[in-house]
Amino acid sequence: MLRIESLSVALGEFQLRNVSLEVRAGEHFAVLGPTGAGKTVLLETIAGIHEPDAGRIFLGDREITATEPRFRRIGMVYQDYMLFPHLTVEENIAFGLRQRRVPSADRRAAVEEMSALLQIGHLAGRYPGTLSGGEQQRVALARALVMEPEILLLDEPLSALDSRTRERMRAELSRVRRITGTTMVQITHHFDDVFALADRVAIMRDGRIVQVGETADVFGHPADADLAEFLGIGNLIRGTASREGGLVRVTAGGGPGFLAASTVTGEVVATLPAEDVILSSAPFDSSARNSLPATVLAVVPRGSTVQVYLDAGFPLTAMLTRESCRELDLAPGSRAVATFKASAVHVIPVDP
Amino acid sequence: MRRVSLALTVIVVVATSAVLLGLVLYSPIPVLLDCLGSAEIRFAILLSLATSTISTAICVAIAVPVAHALARYEFPGKRAAALALTLPLTLPPLVAGIALLLFFGTTPWGRALEDAGFEVIFTPLGIVVAQVFVNLPYMTRILRSAFTAINPRYDYVARTLGCTEGGSFLQVILPMARPGLLAGTAVTWSKAMGEFGAVLMLAGATAMRTETLPIALYLNISTGDLEMAVAAATILIAISLATLCVVEYLDRGIHVF
Repeated sequence: MLRIESLSVALGEFQLRNVSLEVRAGEHFAVLGPTGAGKTVLLETIAGIHEPDAGRIFLGDREITATEPRFRRIGMVYQDYMLFPHLTVEENIAFGLRQRRVPSADRRAAVEEMSALLQIGHLAGRYPGTLSGGEQQRVALARALVMEPEILLLDEPLSALDSRTRERMRAELSRVRRITGTTMVQITHHFDDVFALADRVAIMRDGRIVQVGETADVFGHPADADLAEFLGIGNLIRGTASREGGLVRVTAGGGPGFLAASTVTGEVVATLPAEDVILSSAPFDSSARNSLPATVLAVVPRGSTVQVYLDAGFPLTAMLTRESCRELDLAPGSRAVATFKASAVHVIPVDP
Repeated sequence: MRRVSLALTVIVVVATSAVLLGLVLYSPIPVLLDCLGSAEIRFAILLSLATSTISTAICVAIAVPVAHALARYEFPGKRAAALALTLPLTLPPLVAGIALLLFFGTTPWGRALEDAGFEVIFTPLGIVVAQVFVNLPYMTRILRSAFTAINPRYDYVARTLGCTEGGSFLQVILPMARPGLLAGTAVTWSKAMGEFGAVLMLAGATAMRTETLPIALYLNISTGDLEMAVAAATILIAISLATLCVVEYLDRGIHVF
C-alpha cells in the first residue's frame, strides 16, 4: 500500500535517516517514539510537504516521491486540528471538494454524509473557535475523509484531548476505519493508543526506525535493551476481562488468568511492567492478589538485570536482579511462582 | 500605585483632548466652514485622499508577497533583506525624502526613469513615490508578524486538500492574516495622509499642485494665514478619527485604540 524506501530528510534540527517502511492496505499502523524523534517530519514527507534528500515513496504501485501534495490522495489530521478559523464547519469539510470543483449538490451530499458518520451534522454552521477539542477533531477527520484518501495520516490526533474524550475518539477512529476501510498511519507517544488501535507499530528514535512489527511482538520482544527501557512494559497480554468483585479477571489463553484493578470489561489488552512481577520458589503470604504457578521458558541477561520469560497459561515476563536469579536457581524448564498486585496491571479496552 | 497610575491616566487623557479640542475650536464655526469650502483646501483634501489611497494600494500589493516571503521562506541574505526593509522605520522622513530626491535627480537610472515619462520631482507622482517609500516598511513589518503568527500547518493541510501553494495562500493564509492586513492598511493610509517630510523634499510645496493637507497647513502657517492652517489640521484630525472608527467597525476582533 504505502512503501517507503531509504528515505532521508534533513530539516533544521529534525532528521530522518534511511527510513524504510511498508504499510499494508487497510491496516492501522502506529509510529511510536519520544518527542523529537522525527515522527512529524516523516508524516509530512509522506504527505509531500518536505522534499526528501534521498529515498523513494510509493503509494499502491505509483511512485509519489516528486508528486505535489494535492495529487497524492493522502489525508492529514494534526493534533491541533488546523481547522480554517474563517470558515464554518461545513465550509471546512467542503474545502477539499471545492478545490476539486465537485458540483455543489454532490458536495453538499458528501459533506452531509460524512458529517452524519462523525455525528457532527448539528455543528454545520458553527465556526471552529466555538467547538470543543473533541468536536474539532471530528471535523478535522471529516474534512480529510470526505476526500476519500488512499491513506490517512494522523499526527498525535488524540494528544490534545482530555482522557475521557481521548477514549471516546479512540473508539471513533476504530469505528470510522471499520466503516470506510481507510488505511491509517498514526503518530503517537501514548502506548494506550498503540494497544487499542494499531495492527502494527514502528518504533522511531533519533530519526531512525528501530523496530517494526505486530504490536504484541514489538512490546513482547523489544529489539534491544534501550528499546525495552523505552517501552518499559514487559508484558502485553491480550484477553477477555469480566467483573469479579471490585476488580476484573483477565483470562488469556486457557488458564484461570489473573485479577486487575479496573472496571473495563470485554476485549482488552492488559499491560504489566516486568519489574512488578515477583518470582519465588513457593507461594508466600502477601497482599498481592495474583500468585500463579509458571514454567520458566528462557533466562536472558540484560546488563545488571535478568529478563525471565515464563509460561503462566499465557506468556509472562519478569525482570529481576542477577543475584535473585542465582538464588532462585532459575533455568529453562524450572518451576516458579509469579506474584503481582492487581493494581500493577493496566487494562485497556480494545474495540473488536 | 493604582491611584497614581489612574490619576496620571486621567491627566494625560484630559491634556491630550484639551490640546486637540483647542485646535478644532480655535476658529468660529462659520470661518472654519468658509475655509473648508475654499478651493485651496478642497484641492488639498482631494489630492491627499487620492495620493494616500494610491500609495496604500501599492504598499499592500508589494508588502503582502514580501512579508510572506520573509515570514515563511528561508533564503540566502534573508537577515540582510530584513534589515534593509526595517532601517527606513527609524529613519526621519526628511532623510528618506532627500535620498529620493538625489536618487531621481542625480543618478543616471533616476534620469532614465524621468526620460521615460516617470517624472517624480516636484510632481504629484512624487507625492505617491514618497509616501510608498516611507510607509512600505511599516506595512511589511505589520504583515510579516501577521504571517509569522500563522502556523504553517494550515498551509500544509490546505495543500493535502487539493490546493496549489498559491491557492492555499489566497484561500487560507491571507484570510487568516486579515486582522493584520486591515490594521496595516489603516496605519499606512493614515500615515500617508499625514506624510510631510519626504513629500516636501521630493514633491516640493507648490500651492494647488503638490499641496496635500499637511503641505497646505505648512504653506498657510508660513504666510500667516492661521485660519486656513487650522482648517487643514481639523480635516486631518477628522480623517484620523474616521479611520480608527472604520477599522474598529470592520473588525471588532482587533483594537487599534
